Amino acid sequence: MKKLLAVLLALTLVLSMSAVAFAAEDGKITIWTWDPNFNIASMKIGADMYHVDHPDVEIEIQEVQSEDIETAVAQAAVAGDLSTLPDIMLCQDNSFQKMVINYPEVYTDITDKYDFEGFGEAKAAYSTVEGRHYGIPFDAGTVVAAYRTDYLAEAGYTVADLTDITWTEFAEKAKEIKEKTGKPVFCTQAGSGDWILIMIQSCGASMFTEEGAVNLKDNEAIKAAITVYADLVKQGIILETNSWDEMIGTLANGSVCGTFNGCWILGSIMATADQSGKWDITNLPSLEGIEGATHYSNNGGSSWAITQGTDVDLALDFMQLYRNVDFYNAILPTTSAIATFAPAKEAPNYTAVNEFMGSPVFATIVEYGMSVPSNITGAYYYDARNAMATAITNYINGADLDSELAQAEDTVNFAMGF
Amino acid sequence: MTSSATGEKIKRVLMYAFLVIMSFISVFPLYWCFVSAFNTSQEVLGGKLVPGGHLAENIQHLMEQQQVFTALKNSFVNTLLVVVLSLTCCSLAGYGFEIYHDKWKDRVLGILMLSMMVPFVALMVPMFQMFSAMGLLNKYIGFVLPSISTPFLIMLFRSNARAFPKEIIEAARVDGLNEIQIFFRMFVPTMRPTYAAAATITFMNSWNSFLWPRVIMKTNESITMPMLVNNLTTGYIIDYGVVMAGVTICTLPTVIIFFFLQKSFTEAIAGSVK
Repeated sequence: MKKLLAVLLALTLVLSMSAVAFAAEDGKITIWTWDPNFNIASMKIGADMYHVDHPDVEIEIQEVQSEDIETAVAQAAVAGDLSTLPDIMLCQDNSFQKMVINYPEVYTDITDKYDFEGFGEAKAAYSTVEGRHYGIPFDAGTVVAAYRTDYLAEAGYTVADLTDITWTEFAEKAKEIKEKTGKPVFCTQAGSGDWILIMIQSCGASMFTEEGAVNLKDNEAIKAAITVYADLVKQGIILETNSWDEMIGTLANGSVCGTFNGCWILGSIMATADQSGKWDITNLPSLEGIEGATHYSNNGGSSWAITQGTDVDLALDFMQLYRNVDFYNAILPTTSAIATFAPAKEAPNYTAVNEFMGSPVFATIVEYGMSVPSNITGAYYYDARNAMATAITNYINGADLDSELAQAEDTVNFAMGF
Repeated sequence: MTSSATGEKIKRVLMYAFLVIMSFISVFPLYWCFVSAFNTSQEVLGGKLVPGGHLAENIQHLMEQQQVFTALKNSFVNTLLVVVLSLTCCSLAGYGFEIYHDKWKDRVLGILMLSMMVPFVALMVPMFQMFSAMGLLNKYIGFVLPSISTPFLIMLFRSNARAFPKEIIEAARVDGLNEIQIFFRMFVPTMRPTYAAAATITFMNSWNSFLWPRVIMKTNESITMPMLVNNLTTGYIIDYGVVMAGVTICTLPTVIIFFFLQKSFTEAIAGSVK
């Protein structure tokens, strides 16, 4: 029995030692990311480009879902063993600050090691904690308002009429469009809260103060956004669907005049080949009477993190790709991944007229991205978003907005332990 | 015709109508899933209910995006190991609890049953740490170990063992068979329907298992079918035709197993409830 135990212990020791040796192996980069058509496809193209000058470096790309990466980081940090983590991993922008704040031992501070010039300020801010950079920006979640031009024409409008307008102006025009076409102008998933966040970020407002305190009940931007949104829902200008799939269905079936969301929504729109030439994009309406209101915002997107304890120099050398215009030009046609690196807008695939949309939409989106105000996500972003979504639903159903937001703020404070 | 005969007839019609509606509700999602595997994403979103001609295209896209054969192989190996090992282990335990019955064993069984109340998510992190320390991540054995002994299967075998005549055991002992021989030669052949039911339940649970493999299977080479299907729905753009092709491939084995073993399954479940 003792012998058996000794053999087992020795075996475990050898296995764990070989695992450490594996992680520290020179000339190998392990990457965790999700979405084979988007992030993985982009990384594969990047790996091929990197191999031209570095043929000996082995690059292994593993498909791991976003939540699984977060769980793995938490497990590794709790266990105090970072060897189970890869060298480079993707992180949702809205979760980035939360992960760095909770597990600082996992993420490498790359402030002085990587050049952030050229990246959109708001984008880089997602992976910045207390003025230090922990992430390399990747894809844009820049918000676009996408419209069916044929439906607008039916109502006597063009996309230009809906550009650089306020939400009040939008409501007037949208009412007429709805009357003439018989279709809601926008669609969104009920109870998600994303649209309110898009609207408040367009004013540079956040659900949290810079000190990290929750800021819902006295937030004028949130109140204005919810009032506008609820009014449009009640008028039937915005169609609320029960699920994301149903929302995509309304776009595919042509039962709405458009949508506004992160630019990645264009992928789903462009998948409907029979609607080619019938869409165009513009910026989103701005909130009236709110200081700092713009026509630009962000929803979604992600950035790359480099794990501590790995060969950081090698990982950073590889990640120089994300400052390379040729890389962004190469990944655009197959992945539709849009850069947050300003010089990319001059790349040939960005300046070319997009066949489906009938304009150089990708260059336009990079341009929009540079004007997006930054916001604070903090460690309790999703708690605040969910609490606010409940407040929105209750307000639409007739509850008082101030007391609903006060309730939401209490809920988040409770989650934060106050 | 008498009024009672008419009443009987109405009752029967209502019963059949109810059964037809319930069958439709049960079968429709499966039908829709299979049909959608033949359609494009846009057709699926449009609610097309007849099969189109895009199955090959959907499967081709699925193969391009995911390692389908690797996932199928992993799911089959994992499931087979779990079925064989858990049936052996749990039937021995169930038999032991019933045949060598005493009050202490009842208490042990009570504690086992109590463990059914602990949700898996509460055990996940410590189990991950343990398996990680033992070097069992990304390995078949890592998947199989936590499923070998389940309180539900032990209870199923124990309940069904009650119907096993004790006189046969006495007679076998007189004839000179030892306890292990009695189990394998007398008990196992008699309990075939119970084994079939247990195999069906274990197969379905193991094949559809998602959370645990997601925690411990960290490489693309160790992915299972449910993980593969999940991967198809997490991108910015979801191709619903491809998703449905993936779901169909993932569902077929359980459907086939259930069709083959459904008679024994219902018999054994009815037996355990008696």
